[in-house]
Amino acid sequence: MEFLNHFGPVFSLSSMAILCAGTVGGLLLGATPGLSPTMAVALLIPFTFHMDPAQGLMLLGAAYTSTVAGGAVSAILLKIPGAPANIATALDGYAMARKGDGAKALQMCFVSSAIGGVIGIMVLIFLTPVLASWALGFGPSHLFWIAILGVTIIGSLDSRSVVKGLLSGCIGLWIATIGYDTIQGVERFVFTDHLEGGVNVIAALIGLFAIPQVIDMLENGRNPQRMSMMDVRRHPVLESIREVFSKVRALVVGSVVGVLIGLIPGAGGQIAGIVAYDQTRKFSPNRDRFGTGESEGVVAAEAANNAMVGPSLVPLLTLSVPGSPTAAVLLGGLLIHGIFPGPDLFTTHAAVAWTFINSMLVGQILMLAFGLYIARLAAHVVRIPAPILAAGILVLAVFGAYSVQHSMGDVFVMCGLGIGMYFLAAFGFSPAPIVLGVILGPIAESNYVQGRIIAGAGDGLFVYFCTGTLNIVLITLCLASVGYSAISELRLRRREAGQAAA
Amino acid sequence: MSDFQGIANRWQQSVPAGMVVMLALWVTFVSFDVKDPQPYLFPRLISVAMLGLSLMAFARALGGRNRTGRGLHSRTLRNIWPGLAVMAVYVFLAAEWLGFYTAGAAAFMAIYTLYDPNPHNTPGIWIKRLLITIGFMSVMYCIFALILRVQTPRGLLV
Repeated sequence: MEFLNHFGPVFSLSSMAILCAGTVGGLLLGATPGLSPTMAVALLIPFTFHMDPAQGLMLLGAAYTSTVAGGAVSAILLKIPGAPANIATALDGYAMARKGDGAKALQMCFVSSAIGGVIGIMVLIFLTPVLASWALGFGPSHLFWIAILGVTIIGSLDSRSVVKGLLSGCIGLWIATIGYDTIQGVERFVFTDHLEGGVNVIAALIGLFAIPQVIDMLENGRNPQRMSMMDVRRHPVLESIREVFSKVRALVVGSVVGVLIGLIPGAGGQIAGIVAYDQTRKFSPNRDRFGTGESEGVVAAEAANNAMVGPSLVPLLTLSVPGSPTAAVLLGGLLIHGIFPGPDLFTTHAAVAWTFINSMLVGQILMLAFGLYIARLAAHVVRIPAPILAAGILVLAVFGAYSVQHSMGDVFVMCGLGIGMYFLAAFGFSPAPIVLGVILGPIAESNYVQGRIIAGAGDGLFVYFCTGTLNIVLITLCLASVGYSAISELRLRRREAGQAAA
Repeated sequence: MSDFQGIANRWQQSVPAGMVVMLALWVTFVSFDVKDPQPYLFPRLISVAMLGLSLMAFARALGGRNRTGRGLHSRTLRNIWPGLAVMAVYVFLAAEWLGFYTAGAAAFMAIYTLYDPNPHNTPGIWIKRLLITIGFMSVMYCIFALILRVQTPRGLLV
């Protein structure tokens, strides 16, 4: 219980001011499409130079947790996930917003984010040494299958056709291979100079989600009856809190999945949200309502992507192994302040380490408070007339895509992918599997190549990738997710055919 | 969002499905037609899956069993083309030629004006549009130039 001794510095006036600034800044940056948690933390590092180490890390920790939750704002109100971790949130959150429940969806999102976040940080506090060794047990074959699992789940989830969903996932995986091969430096599928550096994940995320949304808003031309996008009904906060706590299954599944996936180096919040959403749907009696505005989906996805935050720091703090790009940036922040994470971090720099972790706990409460306030403002966002919103999102998308690498190539790619996605979406293809393919492609490829090298020196490819308990479990999950969705699709078609005949 | 809801017909389903088959064929061809297979090991794996799935989607589309997607209607295309044109000019031409902020303001104003249901012959409406554009671009300038210090391309103007 040593951590209890280090709460004092968190509640000092200057620390609370820093935490509030980090939380509000993180929520706003997270809600801006294109500004991912990684970028938010990276942008804030220079501000920490002149702070003492504990306060500098507080700022970064608060920004990390709140950007993950803030990404849900644009996912719910505009169907544009602020970060990859919020892709699953958009599936039901936006459908809720379209029904007029945008404020309720946001309130439930922040409450479940805070619960998941607190659980994740409690895991970080109490189980760090035990879980660090477990996390290191994941080899290339397991990480390869985890990446494939992410694609198969989203492919079979976010589409009325499993074939089109999986095909979208494959297109995403292919897009991820464009550019230079990381091992030999060979150009692959590069047919214009702008693709030499590959397709940037954030540019792809913005393009595939934001641009089709912009074009969608323009579909009705100058129709005066379509001036505003949707209504937002006021919803009492206490009722939302009560409703979140009534979704125990979604909260538990989301938090457990988030914790487990957060521990695995490289897996990331985007998989956590999707796996949690999928598992909750499978166990829910309302599974048919998922995708049409079922609040359980929002709760599971948000609990998972925030529960992931604490455990994702376990390998970083105990073994110096950053488990995610954001953790790698945080490692930079730690090193700048002369703190070298590792097994002795909690003895040599105990005060800084525990103050940092405690501040993340307090940061969750602040995130909840500020988030609920932001939810009240949702009505103003969605009442903006469609032409202004469309024009604003377009300009913001261009600036967001450009700011990632200061490259016009990213802007061209973003725009090209977005226009292509609009036409593909009209024929039943979905952006989420494509984006997840782009995100998970490099993870799948690097682990596949590493696995081949290891397999070559051992018993061969099949034995390495397809045997062993964990491999078999992951392969079974991949097949089960596809099989389950194929059966669901078949049932849905039969039901529709029956209704049509009646 | 759109007023035009429905399901794409067999013809509308088959054309994009066929285009995806062509894409998958090209990816497969490029992945297998190389001297050094090492960099293409993973793309080969994907291309085979992609080809199989795209052929399935194409066969289902031809058989009329692909009942997803709302399709495209001529009225939709008529409505979106001005917006697409503004987007293309803004992104591929004006952003670098005019300057990022100026082009952004022009694109914002153009889309807002083209799709604003209010009449174009009232000076008050034009002033409102101009003020909203200036306000929005000021916020963008504060975020990206002053706070995030993003160096945007300069053209004839800012």
